[in-house]
Amino acid sequence: MRRRVVLVDDHELFLAGVRAELADSVDVVGEAASVAEAVPLIKELDPDVVLLDVHLEDGGGDAIINAIAPERPGVRFLALSVSDAAEDVIGVIRAGARGYVTKTISAADLADAVERVASGDAVFSPRLAGFVLDAFRAGERVGGDAELDELTKREREVLQLIARGYMYKEIAARLHISVKTVESHVSSVLRKLQLSSRHELTRWATQHRLV
Amino acid sequence: MSLRSFAPSADGRVLAGVCAGIAEALAVDVTLVRLIFALLALAGGAGIVLYIALWLYAKSGAWWTWVLLFAAGCAVLSGLGLPKRAVVGIALVGIGLLIAWRRGGGFRPGAPLSWGGTLVAAAGALLLLQSGGAGSGALAPVAVAAALLMIAGPWLWQLGPDRIRLEERAEVAAPVHDSVLQTLALIQRHADEPRRVAALARRQERELRGWLYGERPLGDRSSLVGALSAAAADVEELYGIRVEISNAGDYPADEPLVLAAREAMTNAAKFAGVEEIDVYAEVTADEVVVFVRDRGRGFDRAAVAADRRGLVESIEGRLERAGGSATITSGPGRGTEVELRLPRRRT
Repeated sequence: MRRRVVLVDDHELFLAGVRAELADSVDVVGEAASVAEAVPLIKELDPDVVLLDVHLEDGGGDAIINAIAPERPGVRFLALSVSDAAEDVIGVIRAGARGYVTKTISAADLADAVERVASGDAVFSPRLAGFVLDAFRAGERVGGDAELDELTKREREVLQLIARGYMYKEIAARLHISVKTVESHVSSVLRKLQLSSRHELTRWATQHRLV
Repeated sequence: MSLRSFAPSADGRVLAGVCAGIAEALAVDVTLVRLIFALLALAGGAGIVLYIALWLYAKSGAWWTWVLLFAAGCAVLSGLGLPKRAVVGIALVGIGLLIAWRRGGGFRPGAPLSWGGTLVAAAGALLLLQSGGAGSGALAPVAVAAALLMIAGPWLWQLGPDRIRLEERAEVAAPVHDSVLQTLALIQRHADEPRRVAALARRQERELRGWLYGERPLGDRSSLVGALSAAAADVEELYGIRVEISNAGDYPADEPLVLAAREAMTNAAKFAGVEEIDVYAEVTADEVVVFVRDRGRGFDRAAVAADRRGLVESIEGRLERAGGSATITSGPGRGTEVELRLPRRRT
């Protein structure tokens, strides 16, 4: 079954490009260029996946997620952005996006990412994996819930391999685990990223450049 | 020289080290400073008050130490035999300037003018002019000139908000001109070479991202990620492939590490037969690690041609000489990964 996708981006040229690239693999059922346009449209169409930009003219992608998620838990969000600002990326993930990919991603990889998000998996680009490893840097925890505030050794290994450019099945082969296990590690990291109150997550972005 | 950095000096102090501190900050002989303070102390004890005020100011720097310092200054002037009117005048000018400085955001060009401060200073200057006593003859014109300059300054400089906006624009325009506009011009000239255009656009994109989000100057090569990005852009331009860079943390660039990473990228671009290379840099508590990975044809280390062995050795040798290590993992059809490790320098 082809996935039903809504695109939210205020860059018309980019929107047209993504629509054309995805035409073979998914059904693009709607498009919006702002938070105000996107929220009623997504509620009406109830798509499988919303591909959304981190920055829109009238707010962030997180505003859309916050408005939709409580009412439509079945809609999955995948952030697609040129923004490299760590706080933007982490912000949209913490709002509930299932992954983040950069706009330079190839058409095939994007289609694959949409499919994976639609089936409930998390999609981490190498860059996001790097951000997350930085945010969960060992030995900087202050208070909070230890289970949520720290990555396990395995999760760290998986993230590092993603950052190094390994695909899930390559990671599985390398760590002698199944692809399903890799996926569950990534989902667990995503959950921690969304639920952890670890104060570095909000603070680290300002100081992550030089350590 | 700067009195801002003044702090009581522990070396060669007699009392609290105020004189030694001043001598240090102004780079003058401490005996001279002590002599001046001794003479001022004779002038009705003003030197002693000033000494204590300076010490308190340096210790806490709270607002009231400013007031104390100011009062001490007035006591000194009074002790030097200036008429009361002149001392009050000078005090008013000083207070006015201080208000203008604190409220108006400093005396930098274009800063908003503090009318209250200006009025107080002007009143002080008038009083000073009227005092006409002995010794105030030289000070009065200076004080009046300072007050006038404060009022007239902004008009003389012609530095309104427009000028600030222009300056800000110039600040942005310079780096954008040097990089973005140059690249756009290059792209137009090479419009018929898609590979070249793509590489140019990618290099510029990466630089602009670093500038906007990573706070790296455009064209920065001083940080590890900046230097790796620049090296990646070079390799992309030369070989028409894509290099994806990710990182966790950043660090001042280490030349051997960057050169070895560049060598690894070049190797992958030349021999792996792939479209894309992944580079990941991680800064941990005690080392910096860079991974360069391709999903290409790989090679058998034992069967490698002599000219390529040179490249391999240049990566390993370079890192070992710098105190680090390089590990190359590869096999026919399995791609290649180069792992470069270098201990962090002690600072």
